[in-house]
Parts: sequence; C-alpha cells; structure tokens
Amino acid sequence: MKTKTVERVYAPITPHFVGDGFRVHNFIPSAYQLDMQRMDPFIMLDYNSKHYFSATDSPRGVGVHPHRGFETVTIAYKGKIAHHDSAGNNGVIGEGDVQWMTAASGILHKEYHEREFSKNGGEFQMVQLWVNLPAAYKMSAPKYQEVTNNTIKKVELPDNNGSIEIISGEYDGNKGTAQTFTPIHLHNVKLNKGGKAAFNFPAHYNTAMLVVEGEVSVNDGEIVKTDHFVLMDNKGEHFEIKATTNAIVLLLSGEPINEPIAAHGPFVMNSKEELIQAFEDFNTGKFGYLED
Amino acid sequence: MFLSFKTYLVERSGISDLEFQSLHPYLKEKEIPKGTILLQKRAVCTHSFFVESGLLRSYSIDQSGKEHVIQFAPEGWIITDRSSVFFNEPSDYYIEAIEPSTVIYFSNDFIRKASEISAAFRNYNERLLQNHIRQLQHRIQFLLEATAEERYLDFISIYPDLLLRVPQWMIASYLGITPESLSRVRKELAKRHFSPRN
Repeated sequence: MKTKTVERVYAPITPHFVGDGFRVHNFIPSAYQLDMQRMDPFIMLDYNSKHYFSATDSPRGVGVHPHRGFETVTIAYKGKIAHHDSAGNNGVIGEGDVQWMTAASGILHKEYHEREFSKNGGEFQMVQLWVNLPAAYKMSAPKYQEVTNNTIKKVELPDNNGSIEIISGEYDGNKGTAQTFTPIHLHNVKLNKGGKAAFNFPAHYNTAMLVVEGEVSVNDGEIVKTDHFVLMDNKGEHFEIKATTNAIVLLLSGEPINEPIAAHGPFVMNSKEELIQAFEDFNTGKFGYLED
Repeated sequence: MFLSFKTYLVERSGISDLEFQSLHPYLKEKEIPKGTILLQKRAVCTHSFFVESGLLRSYSIDQSGKEHVIQFAPEGWIITDRSSVFFNEPSDYYIEAIEPSTVIYFSNDFIRKASEISAAFRNYNERLLQNHIRQLQHRIQFLLEATAEERYLDFISIYPDLLLRVPQWMIASYLGITPESLSRVRKELAKRHFSPRN
C-alpha cells in the first residue's frame, strides 16, 4: 500500500465576517488549488478559529438566506448556534454537536449565536463545510440530521492514543452516525500528546485535515500547527498523524462526484440554466418565507 | 484593459477592436470601496459609469431625509444622470457604490468621439437612448398604477440576483412601497408557491 503524502499545508488567511456572527477563514474554495473541482465533493469550508465574542442582548449571526443543490455541515467546537428555517424547523447546535442539513431542492434559513451564549459572551469556534450533491439528488427534499455529540459514534484508540468521533463514513470497521449521499468520511480525531492514528482511504478520494486544536505531524514529517489546513495527495492511500501536543483534527475524505459544477453564491448546481432557475424560484417564494 | 467594457461595446454596438482601442484615452478604470459617492446632488454629472464588477445605485433624498432609489446598476450596467451630463446642469441625484466595485468612468467626450469614428456606435447610442426612455416610461407607469406584487415581479425580472445582495428597505424604496409591504408580497408569494416536503 502506498503512502498518502502531504500535498500542501495552508496557513489560515485573513478572516472575514459572514453576517456579524461568524469570523471565518475560508480554505475551500478560495485558497490556492482548493477550488471546488479539486476538492470535490467538498465545495466550501469556512473555519471560525477560536474567537471571543463579547456579551450582547441581540445575538450575532447571519440573516435569512437560501441554499440549493448541496448540504451544509456545521460543526460546533465552542459556543452554540441557533437556527431557524422556512419549513418551520429550528434548533440549537451545541458544543460538540454537528448539524448535517441537506438543503437539496431549497431551504431558507438563518443562523445566530444562541441567546444564552450571546448574553454571556464567550469563545466561539466552528466549521461550516458544504458538501456537494450528485445531480440525481440536487432537487430531492430538504432534510436535517441533528448529530448531537452523544449520538456520534466514538472509537477509543488503543494505548491511550486518543479517540475518533466518526461523524460520517467509517473508521476501522466502525460506521459513523450521519447518512451521506456519496461516500464521505468526516471524523474528529482527538489525540493525546504523543498519540497516533492511522488512516486508509482510496487514492482518488479527496482528503484534507484542519487542525482545530494543538499540533500534529503527518507521516512523521510535516508539522501542522493549530488552525492550519493540510491537503493530502491523490497518489497514495495510507497515512498517519501524530500529536505533538493534545490535538483535535477535523479529517475529511470523500469520493469525487465528477459532475459539472455551476455555482453562484448560495446555489450550487450542474448548469447555468439550473442556477437561473434557482434565482427565479428563490425570488418567487418557492423556498418559502422566513422573517429576518 | 477595460476588458468587460470592451466586450460589452464590441458585442452590442459593433464598434471594432481597433476603434475601441483609439478611445482608451477617454476611459478611466477605478476600483472603489463600498460607500463611495460617485455623484453628489447639486453637482454636475460629468461621467457615465459602466460597472465591471460590484453594484452601484442612484437615489434622491427628499426633504424629510428619506432616500428614494432610482436605479440599481449591477455588473454590465451603465448608470449616470444622463440629462445632467448632456445639459451640463446640477443633478438631483446621488450615485453610490453599495458593494466594492470596479467601474469604468467615461465622459461625454467618449460618446462624442465614438460617434465620430463609428457609425455603428452612433446607431447604438441612439438605440440606448430610446431604450432608456422606454425604461423610464415603464417605470413611471408602474409607479403610478401597478400593485406592490406587480412591481416586485417586474423588479425580479430586471434584477434576478439583487434580492440576495441588497437590503430589503432599499428594494422597497426602489419599488415605492414600504418594507412591510415588500415582506407581505414575498410572504404571499411563498404561501402560493412553497410546499414544504420534509
């Protein structure tokens, strides 16, 4: 079996605000060679590195906006996010929870810091990942998978190396919690200092990691620091990470969908015509209505 | 240089590449931050603005301080106060960038020179002017007689992606309705067209 090696390590770029509640570094698709085609099926990754938000009575966040054609995966590391949508769903994504929202044919939603969290202020850290849908499912019905932390499948690594939370996909024969439309392995790898974990994914799967806590080395070589993103090559299958301090790494590996991508803002479709249709449907209320 | 403006003009007016090149001295390209005012009320408008990227709007402010949006100009649109430019008289409007934008500034000299060297451009400019009048007439008629919903449906056919880029109050201002009426229209449309499937 061939080793999957590091293709490139990315430092976080200058953050920008999404609404007034999410201070994010974008990696996919704006960083060099992390475009939608290269990272397929991962089409967007925004990372809110640890940031202290002061106390406020009016929760910060992002107002009503639509999505169509893909899934949004929100992973809360610190702080809590409240969400509401045009189908009447609402909920809170708490620390350690994951919300896997299949926007598919279309949804309007808004995302804010949860009220209590906002009142007290505090550290906020989260990832929002967009996962593309194959053409056959782009217009399927929207749905949610609220993957609360207590439902996430956890695997203890031997010899006190740490543990792995399998959000989706599979690790060492253990199946993850969330259902996906195409093969996607999404794991939180939690390693103790000196702890190691080995992974094995098909060479053609697009694979990357984001170090959200601590520092790791990959294949006993490249050091990847906190808030850095590492893209793996598509030549090998096997790699190992080792924590030089206690560390948490978000690992993503997915089979490319290999279909044309037409993207504009919150719509990711296969053709320009479908994008135009998405705008028209949004404008004429086919995504529903939601008060700001 | 001036690539998208060139594509726009060559495609629409039939001016040749070479003719366009000779007009470069009459063009200025500027990158402007959000909030930049390109025209002040009571100033004479000396330029027209072609939006390469970003979004501009023209608006007036009434005596009570309320803004009234006259026009939005996203990518590929031209915005100006045409009569202020032509008659060299003070404008009643402001023109402002509401997104960071790249804008081509062109003066009346550009239009004069282009009309001199290209018959195709001359015809095009005439057509542009007639079309402008048509749009104005249409807008007057809608403001006088159309329902809030008709105005909104007309707006989204002209500006399909602005609902995602512009605050609601600005759209309501363009439509000549209150933000509450705009919400009501959108809610009504959603009631008719939305079927939650989950």
